[in-house]
Amino acid sequence: MTPQDAANTILFYVLGAAAVLLALALVNTRRLLRAAIYLMGVLAASAGLYILLGAEFLAGIQVLVYVGGIVVLIVFAVMLTRSADLLVDKPTLGRMILGGATSIAFLILSATTLWFSDFGVIQDGAAPKDNTLAIGKQLLDTGAGGYVLPFEIISLLLLGAIIAGIVIARKAPPRNQPLTSGGDLPGEVTARLPRSQKDKAVEGGRS
Amino acid sequence: MTEFLTAIKPGAGHWLVLSAILFSVGLYGLLSRRNAVGVLMAVELMLNSAALNFVVLNRYVAPGRVDGQMMALFVIAVAAAEVVVGMAIFVALFRHRSTIDVTRMDIMKF
Repeated sequence: MTPQDAANTILFYVLGAAAVLLALALVNTRRLLRAAIYLMGVLAASAGLYILLGAEFLAGIQVLVYVGGIVVLIVFAVMLTRSADLLVDKPTLGRMILGGATSIAFLILSATTLWFSDFGVIQDGAAPKDNTLAIGKQLLDTGAGGYVLPFEIISLLLLGAIIAGIVIARKAPPRNQPLTSGGDLPGEVTARLPRSQKDKAVEGGRS
Repeated sequence: MTEFLTAIKPGAGHWLVLSAILFSVGLYGLLSRRNAVGVLMAVELMLNSAALNFVVLNRYVAPGRVDGQMMALFVIAVAAAEVVVGMAIFVALFRHRSTIDVTRMDIMKF
C-alpha cells in the first residue's frame, strides 16, 4: 500500500464522517440559519470526496455553485421569510418517529443491498486522468455520446428558472397601475392616492 | 497500521453505503421538518448524495469515460434552478400567508 493510498483511505473516512455528522446536525437543529451553515459544511465535504474520486472539475463546480450560490440563496430565503425568528422548527414526536422509521428502513434496505450484492460491472477503477479536458470536449460534442443538446436545454431551464423566480416573487402591483413600469412616474403615484391627497400632491408638484 | 488501512480501503461498496447514509439522513429531514426552507435543505442533501452516487459509479464502472460526472454536473445545475423557484415560491407564500409552515399548507385555494 503506497502512502498515497493510505492518505486516500484516511481522508475518505474523515470526510465521510464529517459529511454524515454535519448532515445529522442539519436535520436535527432547530435553528435554520445554523442548518444553512451545516449544509455548507456537508457540501464542502462532498467537494472533498469528489476530489478523492478524481473529479476535480466537479469539486470546483460544487464549491462555486452549491457552496457559493445555493447556500447563499437559502440564507436569503431564511431571512426574507423571517423563519429564523417566526418558526423555531421543532418537529412533533409523531413526525420524528415516522420520518426516523422511514429513513432507517430505507437505509437498511439499500445499504444491505448495495453491500452484499455482487455487481458484475464493478472494477477497481484507477482515478481517471484529464477529467476537465474530457468533460469540456464531451459537453460540446455534437456526435453520438455528446452532450451538446442537454447542455443547451440546461441553459433554457436556467433562463426559465430566472424568469419564473422574478415573476413569482415580485410584489403584486396596485390595482390601477400598469404592469410595465415600477410605479415611480408622477402620474402613477398620484393615480392611486385618495382624492384629497391627490390634490395636495398635484399642488405640491406645481409649487 | 498498514494492514488495517489495507483492510478498510474504500471500494465501491463503501462509497455507495456512504451515499445511501447521506440520502436517508436527507429523507429524515424531508419528513420531519415543518419549515419549508428546512425541507428544501433536506432535498438539497438528497440531490447531493445522488450526484455523489453518479460520480462513484463513474469511477468504478467506466473510469475511462466522464458520463457520470456529466450527469452530476446536470444534477447540480437543475438543483440551482430548483432552489431559485423554490425560494421565490416561499417568498410569495410568506407575503400572502405570513408563514411557511408546510403543515399548514393543506388547502389548494382560499
